[in-house]
Amino acid sequence: MSRKLFSIFSTLIVVSMLLAACATATPTTAPAESKPAESTGEIKIGFISAFTGVFSSFGKMQKEGAELALEEVGYTAGGKKITVIYEDDQLDNEQAVTKAKKLVEQDKVDILTGLVSGDEGLTVGDYMKDKGIPLIPMYSASEDMTMRSFFPMTVRATWTGAQSMDVFGYWLATEKGYKKIYMIGEDYSYPWNQAGGFKRGFCRGGGVEVKSVWFPPGTTSDFSSMIAAIPLDQGYDAVLYNGAGGDAVNFIKQWSELGMVGKIPLLGQSNTFEKPDLDSMPKDIVGSLSPHHTADDLNTPNWNAFKDAFVKKYGYSPSAASEFAYMSMRMILRAIEAVKGDVSDKAKLVDAMLKVDLSDTPRGPVALDPTYHSAIENVYIREVTADDKGALYNKGILTVKNVSQFGPYDPALYMSQPIDGNTYPPDLCADFPAEMLQAANIYEYLPFGK
Amino acid sequence: MQNKNLPRILLLVAIAVLLVLLPLYAGQYTITTFIRILYFGFLALSIGFLIGQGGMVSFTQTAFFGFTGYVIGLLGLERGLAFPLPELLGLAGVLLTALLLGMVAVRAYKIVFLMITLAFGQIFWAFAQQNTSLLHGWAGIRGIRPPVLLGIDFYNTANFYWGALVLFVLGLYLLWRITKSPFGLVLNGTRESPRRMAALGYPVYWIRVVAFLISAFYAGLGGILAAYNTGIITPTTIQLSRTIWVLLMVILGGASYFWGPVVGTIVVVWLDVLVSGITGRFNTIIGIIFVITVLFSPNGLLGLLDDIRRGEKFPKIRKFLFPKAASGE
Repeated sequence: MSRKLFSIFSTLIVVSMLLAACATATPTTAPAESKPAESTGEIKIGFISAFTGVFSSFGKMQKEGAELALEEVGYTAGGKKITVIYEDDQLDNEQAVTKAKKLVEQDKVDILTGLVSGDEGLTVGDYMKDKGIPLIPMYSASEDMTMRSFFPMTVRATWTGAQSMDVFGYWLATEKGYKKIYMIGEDYSYPWNQAGGFKRGFCRGGGVEVKSVWFPPGTTSDFSSMIAAIPLDQGYDAVLYNGAGGDAVNFIKQWSELGMVGKIPLLGQSNTFEKPDLDSMPKDIVGSLSPHHTADDLNTPNWNAFKDAFVKKYGYSPSAASEFAYMSMRMILRAIEAVKGDVSDKAKLVDAMLKVDLSDTPRGPVALDPTYHSAIENVYIREVTADDKGALYNKGILTVKNVSQFGPYDPALYMSQPIDGNTYPPDLCADFPAEMLQAANIYEYLPFGK
Repeated sequence: MQNKNLPRILLLVAIAVLLVLLPLYAGQYTITTFIRILYFGFLALSIGFLIGQGGMVSFTQTAFFGFTGYVIGLLGLERGLAFPLPELLGLAGVLLTALLLGMVAVRAYKIVFLMITLAFGQIFWAFAQQNTSLLHGWAGIRGIRPPVLLGIDFYNTANFYWGALVLFVLGLYLLWRITKSPFGLVLNGTRESPRRMAALGYPVYWIRVVAFLISAFYAGLGGILAAYNTGIITPTTIQLSRTIWVLLMVILGGASYFWGPVVGTIVVVWLDVLVSGITGRFNTIIGIIFVITVLFSPNGLLGLLDDIRRGEKFPKIRKFLFPKAASGE
């Protein structure tokens, strides 16, 4: 019996190896693939995102934004046809590497983009380090991709986790006069980075304490005990909810149901009040503040043109994730245009991306830092507001221009600090390294729209 | 006698040559896929051995798979211990943990055993997910690289494939010997009737513990290869859906056959690669294939072929596949 089975097993291996041979034979027989692509005029872009799983809405928004940019140029740039290969990583870092390997080794993509979460970005970045293929993270915000683990094939025209929060914390401390903040955050890298930026700015502006409470994301839908534990009698000026997605919707709903509205101001991190989650939140949270690089009522020609095109195609308003994907893809396409479709020299392609004019970006002008290939851009401080139909949106109230990923700090000093985590930076501003508090404020808080 | 065996030997040699020379004629992604088959093969062998030989369906094996990965990440990458210390410590840790857990779990049989091992697996997963100070929570540990040994850089895909292939063939041979050894037969006995075996004087409890240890060791070996290949170790490596995925490979291939887990791994991993290129609904398709297979043959693909060979199913296909067996009756 086992002999027969052995022969069956062997046939299976042979078949799978034949499959293997087929899989590798196709690129050489089909003219539109692999190496000959240069001459037949096709450029392949790999796009990894979370199309299923907890962050699937972000994956969908990214894809929509990118497709809009591609359709504008009819899927051609520099005289070449642009093919995008989408891969779903289910927000699983291990899947992300597997898919990256597939795109690099089998599809032989010229550019790799997409990526939603910070950990995804770092993981794929770690794999891509020595592959010599440009990596363009879109929504993935882990600052180390363009800092401590930077490699020159990375270009991120979007954001880092701390970038929007530093100026927000500074403003709350100086203008609002807040001294103590109570923060409830999801215990993983992106909220850590957001909290890090917030604490740095808040302490630099004269704050005293950011009390941090962490919980593992996606593990509970009942936040009542967490909300009840907020000590209202200990002089906290506001509560910062440092989380997003389904957890944020649940938290905010229960915040309202437990009658917390009016007792203490509620603040959000960049993603807390983002659409479409905002549509599911109770109406009485109007007035809650959060910072981001977009605002729903940006009234610039560039934003309106993008928004109109987006609404026309999909039937609803774009989010930050769709804008980030749109402008990143447009940067890629313009760079391909600039090198006239010759993407064989990847270093030249990256160079072209850094030189692309991004002043007409929908969310406001963006410049790229030539050293770390990261974005220098506007931060908007926004307030949750209800429109005349009662729908909530993020109304811009202040604009801070030209904010870099390092904020007002010296890059070397910034990178010599430990990576933001759930134990660093400290809760008490008095425990901060003195040199971090001494950075002078270089930002002007302009009225929104100026 | 020799004539009878000749086609089999030729086939064997052909396969060996094809497998060994794979990096020379196949594309890089094919090699990567075969590496995945090899390390998932270890995990499938681990689970399949317990089910097929010992009659124990364990949900803890994936945790052992992740265990070695985490040890390599923590000791090798973060503390800088040189090869092979983290690997050996990882395997030792796996054996120790498996001994402790096994001594608790194997007291139970069937569904109770399954539930206890499920609880163990979930404890490991929840700990890895929530411990941010040591295991870095959801982010896991990244940047794991295979070592350079005797001047051979295993970061090179082809070298890594050859290394993994050698390890897998050795592992297969050893497990084959264990299965066919007196111990293997006694283990089969405990699967069929633990009471009768106990009455015959066999230490059923310890036999089952040893089987659990052997299985954990194989899972740990696969985990080393997996951590090196992906470069990261995260809680998703040991989550429940991964365990179910591997269990599905084992059952699809045929849990009661020695080669079943291997066949299942080859089929499922290749399906994964081929189907995910066409549609994102990979899980739906593999689920349908799984349901169909189990409907037609509860013993998996190998069981189906066995049935066909014995003439119990699809006599026409039997004539085509096994003309000799068919005409002989």
